[in-house]
Amino acid sequence: MSAQDLPNDQSKAKQSKFNQKFKQQRLPAWQPILTADTVLPAFFLIGLLFVPLGAALLFFSHSVQEMELDYTDCKSVEAGVSMPCSEVIRKSNFTAECTCQVNFTITEPFKKTVYLYYGLDNFYQNHRRYVKSRDDNQLLGKDITSPSNDCNPFGMSDGKIYAPCGAIANSMFNDSLTLYDAGKDEKLKLIKTDIAWPSDRKIKFNNPPGKLNDSEAFKNTIKPPYWTKNVWELSDDPSNNGYKNEDLIVWMRSAAFPTFRKLYGKIDHSMIGFKFGFPKGRYYLEVQYRYPVDSFGGRKRMILSTTSFLGGKNNFLGIAYITVGCICLLLGIIFLIIHIKFGKRAVDQLNINQNTPYSD
Amino acid sequence: MTTQVAAEVRARAGAGLGAAAGGGMGGQDYRTVFLNEPQPFKYCSNAICTAKYRYKLLFFLPMFLFEQFRRYANIFFLIIALLQQIPGVSPTGRYTTLVPLICILVVSAIKEIAEDIKRHRADDELNKREIEVLKDGQWQWIKWRHIQVGDIVKVRNNKFFPADLVLLASSEPQALCYVETANLDGETNLKIRQGLPQTSHLLEARDLMSLSGKVECEAPNRFLYQFTGNLKETSRPTVPLCPDQVLLRGAKLQNTNWVFGLVIYTGHETKLMKNSATSAPLKRSTVDRQTNNLIILLFFLLIVLCLIMAVCNSQWPAELHWYLSLDDLSVFNFGINFITFIILFNNLIPISLQVTLEVVRFIQAGFINNDINMLYEENNIWAMARTSNLNEELGMVKYVLSDKTGTLTCNIMEFKRCSVGGNVYSMSDGSVQDLIVLVESGGPGSDMARQFLIMLAVCHTVIPDRDEGRPDSAIKYHAASPDERALVEGAQKLGFVFETRTPDCVVVDVLGTKERYEVLNVLEFTSARKRMSVIVKTPDGQIKLYCKGADTVIYERLGDSQQFRDVIVRHLEDFAGEGLRTLCYATADISQEFYDKWKNIYHKASTALQFREKKLEDAAQLIENNLTLLGATAIEDKLQDEVPETIASLLKAGIHVWVLTGDKQETAINIGHSCHLLNQGMPLIILNTDSLDETRDTINRHVVEFGEQLKRENEAALIIDGKTLIYALTPDLRKDFLDLCISCKSVICCRVSPSQKAEVVELLTRETGSVTLAIGDGANDVAMIQKANVGVGIAGLEGLQAACASDYAIGQFRFLARLLFVHGAWNYSRLCKVILYSFYKNICLYVIELWWAAMSGWSGQVLFERWSIAMYNVLFTAAPPLVMGIFDRSCSAETRMKYPELYRESQSGSHFNWKVFLWWVWLALVHSVLVFVLPYFSMTQDVAWGHGRVGGYLMVGNMVYTYVVITVCLKAGLETDAWTWVTHLAIWGSIASWFIFLLVYSNFWPVLPMAPDMAGIYLQVYSSPVFWFGVILIPLSCLLLDVTTKTMQNSVRKSLTEQVRESEISNKDVSKVLDTKHRLSETARLLKNVFRRTTTRVNLEVELAHGYAFSQEEHGVMGQSEVIRFYDTTQPKPGGM
Repeated sequence: MSAQDLPNDQSKAKQSKFNQKFKQQRLPAWQPILTADTVLPAFFLIGLLFVPLGAALLFFSHSVQEMELDYTDCKSVEAGVSMPCSEVIRKSNFTAECTCQVNFTITEPFKKTVYLYYGLDNFYQNHRRYVKSRDDNQLLGKDITSPSNDCNPFGMSDGKIYAPCGAIANSMFNDSLTLYDAGKDEKLKLIKTDIAWPSDRKIKFNNPPGKLNDSEAFKNTIKPPYWTKNVWELSDDPSNNGYKNEDLIVWMRSAAFPTFRKLYGKIDHSMIGFKFGFPKGRYYLEVQYRYPVDSFGGRKRMILSTTSFLGGKNNFLGIAYITVGCICLLLGIIFLIIHIKFGKRAVDQLNINQNTPYSD
Repeated sequence: MTTQVAAEVRARAGAGLGAAAGGGMGGQDYRTVFLNEPQPFKYCSNAICTAKYRYKLLFFLPMFLFEQFRRYANIFFLIIALLQQIPGVSPTGRYTTLVPLICILVVSAIKEIAEDIKRHRADDELNKREIEVLKDGQWQWIKWRHIQVGDIVKVRNNKFFPADLVLLASSEPQALCYVETANLDGETNLKIRQGLPQTSHLLEARDLMSLSGKVECEAPNRFLYQFTGNLKETSRPTVPLCPDQVLLRGAKLQNTNWVFGLVIYTGHETKLMKNSATSAPLKRSTVDRQTNNLIILLFFLLIVLCLIMAVCNSQWPAELHWYLSLDDLSVFNFGINFITFIILFNNLIPISLQVTLEVVRFIQAGFINNDINMLYEENNIWAMARTSNLNEELGMVKYVLSDKTGTLTCNIMEFKRCSVGGNVYSMSDGSVQDLIVLVESGGPGSDMARQFLIMLAVCHTVIPDRDEGRPDSAIKYHAASPDERALVEGAQKLGFVFETRTPDCVVVDVLGTKERYEVLNVLEFTSARKRMSVIVKTPDGQIKLYCKGADTVIYERLGDSQQFRDVIVRHLEDFAGEGLRTLCYATADISQEFYDKWKNIYHKASTALQFREKKLEDAAQLIENNLTLLGATAIEDKLQDEVPETIASLLKAGIHVWVLTGDKQETAINIGHSCHLLNQGMPLIILNTDSLDETRDTINRHVVEFGEQLKRENEAALIIDGKTLIYALTPDLRKDFLDLCISCKSVICCRVSPSQKAEVVELLTRETGSVTLAIGDGANDVAMIQKANVGVGIAGLEGLQAACASDYAIGQFRFLARLLFVHGAWNYSRLCKVILYSFYKNICLYVIELWWAAMSGWSGQVLFERWSIAMYNVLFTAAPPLVMGIFDRSCSAETRMKYPELYRESQSGSHFNWKVFLWWVWLALVHSVLVFVLPYFSMTQDVAWGHGRVGGYLMVGNMVYTYVVITVCLKAGLETDAWTWVTHLAIWGSIASWFIFLLVYSNFWPVLPMAPDMAGIYLQVYSSPVFWFGVILIPLSCLLLDVTTKTMQNSVRKSLTEQVRESEISNKDVSKVLDTKHRLSETARLLKNVFRRTTTRVNLEVELAHGYAFSQEEHGVMGQSEVIRFYDTTQPKPGGM
């Protein structure tokens, strides 16, 4: 009995002790003092840590190799047509296709896995009306009778649901990019899978049950107005088709800023010569030019890039670390001076203040 | 005075009609109370209710909502919540404002209810007191609240009257009784009330039952000193009733075993309640008002911001961006956009602030209620915060206006010292025994000492009372004057025991032998005469005049060659210096012939039909002459514990202490001295005038004398009486009067009525804009307590009136220091931090939306997920401000009590003003820029992982959000002076809660139908090294600025509090930091001399310097000389069964 009671009593006593201390506002407390001498060591320590850390980050960023190619104004390769593809498609009221080629040279071989991105400038995927213009239930593969209101004006047409609905899906990037080795005139293989986030592929995007065609999974649907293909025709690979098409999934994740890049594919390093990266040489990019950006002054780019563990090439973080580190060191020195100058004289100063007659 | 009262009467007369219609005879201006019969009308119940929500649940909701929506912030959030209901407008969903708003209102409601329950309990305590009521011929105990008009009650000695009564009979002769009205008007002396001769014989229940007829009286009103009525007994002539027969609720029976009274007014219709009927006004603290202003400012800022956004949005070439397909949406226009942005930015005004404040204040009030250092152990009274809205106002008090009786003093007089034969004898050090030895020895000077002591025992109008059952029991003395009682008790202790009074003689037990003195005449005390005398025939047949009074009047009447004249003056000065009340004693031998002659003159004077008073005075003048000085006494008006110390610390803290009392000038000044509010040599400006012109001249003269020192703190004190105050408060004089007042270190107003107290407080509060605190214990202080910014009531065992009307109730005056210096200063600094921090954290988060808007086509897209931001104030940053408001403290309580100077910092409001606010806003802006721009630049490449995938806008959004939460939580830590383990828990826990929330929340979809856009985001965020490097870098670089400025300030220009805090933490001697030198400037010293020269009323000065004071009722129902003739203490008193 008593053995059982004892801890109970103790905990009660402990609790009432806390209660007492709390009520009397006597809880023990750590009271930091911020004066030059107390913060000095911290500033020096931060400075000494951050500068090398920043240097390391810079090193990693520099190790990333990157090649950018703006193909917005590339000329049509068709004989007799000597105007930019953008004009060609505009003239055809965005029904015609236009092919163009851009040459580029790799002077330094890329030594790691190379990713192919497409980049858009001045494209506001983060616009409020745009961001919400989707129906996540539809993309989940649920059988919906009417799409969310957010999809308007790309929700329904003549009783048929746009698949997928909404402005994001409707404006999906549909240029096809193909890389060729200029010397061998050989097409470089691209891996188009595993470019979207696994969580998106597995959880967020699912096809409706049934075969991927307009009579089963996508019955009673219609392709978005700006699309040239139906959603079940996006890819030949059935696991990468329909709502599970990775290009669609990548596109559906709205970018943060008006200048952004999205992953288009990965270079297949099983190709001969590409085992250790991307060999130097002359290449060209062939574009099936469909996507209009000149109306809003946008640009389109193709980017080839390797990654470090930090991702793409970006010196900013390293520079920021070095800058903050330097500032800390500088402040540390300033505080040291202040401490030497004011630290001991604090009391004297005070007396001067106190003796001056009180007037308020 | 009279004109004012007349005006009030007129004003009331109009209202009286309406009131009477409700409470009495339909439409008539009087009420009729039937004796021993049921009343035909139902009158107001005797239960009183001072709670805010009187009728409990029925009216709670509308009243509560009305109160709540008087706050701009709540109206604003209600509008936002309504706007969010418009479809397609809100960028943050429909319920993100409504839900928090409802939470806030619920929390406020719970707080209000909890506080109101407390008030109901206090009322209940009063309503449940018991009293004897005559029912069916028997005395029955019933509760106060069940008393009805027409009941006959029996009130015993030292008990309060439960309602307004008409005195029928008492245990004393001629239906006399003494009442203490200190609670009502603050006067120390007892007052005599006398029942009508027609009812004075009703000494038993049986007699009372036989009473029949009715009492007519005026309708209930609030005039304490007015009453008209008639007693109409069946088949007897009508007799008028006047205020002398009325016993008011709030007063207390004294020196009288019991009285019978007829209840005429009950509950809220009693004069006491009529005076304080105005329900407690809603008080708002300075900080609260400032916050409201800031909210308005922020509101305009919000409008401007939204206008900018809407303009930019309309200028943005949306039609070019074909992929948006905006041309199809006709609803998209300027107005709708504007509303969208208002919803987007509405949280610039922190919605959580109100609820955080409510909770913090509630707990702070709990700290006050539970502070063991403010427990008055004697009566087991804890301090009580009756409202919590003024917690921080306690930290800003600039003026303390205190009542005297019951607040500073205990209302107990004690005989302390006497000066006889050139020596001072003191009760406290036992030297008084030497006096007895001297008398017994019969040596030189013994005769004078003996005469002096005999005089103490004889020259007074005290009535002795001894419990009949036990003749050996101690004698109780009943006196209208507390001074006289102290003197007689003093004499008793010295072996000169005043034993018996019969109508014409007194018996004194002189060291064992009884001596009988025949009282021939009593020449009464008046404040004009400043003395009283008795003419007695000593046991050996001699006729002697004993005269005691102010030294000035006694010295004028002394015979030549007085031996101790100068010595006694010196002694008087010493006594007065300690704040003791002094009286001088003199005697004269009268020959039989002279007495016989004088007796005739006196008799003629006392029966004169014209100028009786003047003639009596002249007659007294004739015999009070050629006196021989015997000695002087010093009486202590006992101060409550630690009053002088408390006042000294208040003064040190830069608080001006004013005393407002209903008591006399001399008494007030004495107390001023004894509690060190005044000190010897301090120039006193005394305003005692009789007309407006005179007042104006005096005030102007003093204003000119002050010259440049006007409105600065000078070492001077101002003393004004109630009559002069009427003139001084007239519109054209009040400005100058106030200037004069604030130029003085302390101000004493004496003989002021409750409404004048309130007027002074109101004037001071309104004109100076400073925070005033009124403290008092009696019902006469209620008005002042309600008018002041903060009202503090002294909760005694009795008389809860003031405590009930107050904002804070404490057991003793001394606790005021702790209430202000510890709780006030702490609460102020805490609350300022909480408010500033709440503004800061919201600005910091929401302004990011503005930077982001520039990159999202001014569309109003939210960078963060909607429920994440909705939870920002509820979850991720809710705890740090709460903990800051509850646990933070700079400097320990002990240090704050020991060094009241620390109070000046909060008093000057330095923690919360425009400058500080703008600094915090600036910091918030800097932080928001950094916390957005740094992640922006580190994410320009979109790829933040080794596997080459890209993140979306929510990746960046959640990164930024994480940095905001960390920065903001750490900022709270930076502002916290004392980290308890709860603080640690709150700060680190808040940060952790966000990380956990993100983890859990991004797994909701699709199991729960919410947050599809967040699905799997945690993987993106947590797997990115860029994110983790940012976690280290970004909050640190944001707070670098704060840490640097704080360190700079602490190193170069340290505040007093900070210095004390540091030396306290490092266990250094704190006193080194504080310079305790006297801060009297040279000009003030010069000024002191100026006042010395120009003070004209020399006589008054001398008197003040000698500390004369004596209080006794004047012009009462019956003079003291008559009262004593009714008493024969050898006869038993009626038992009143």
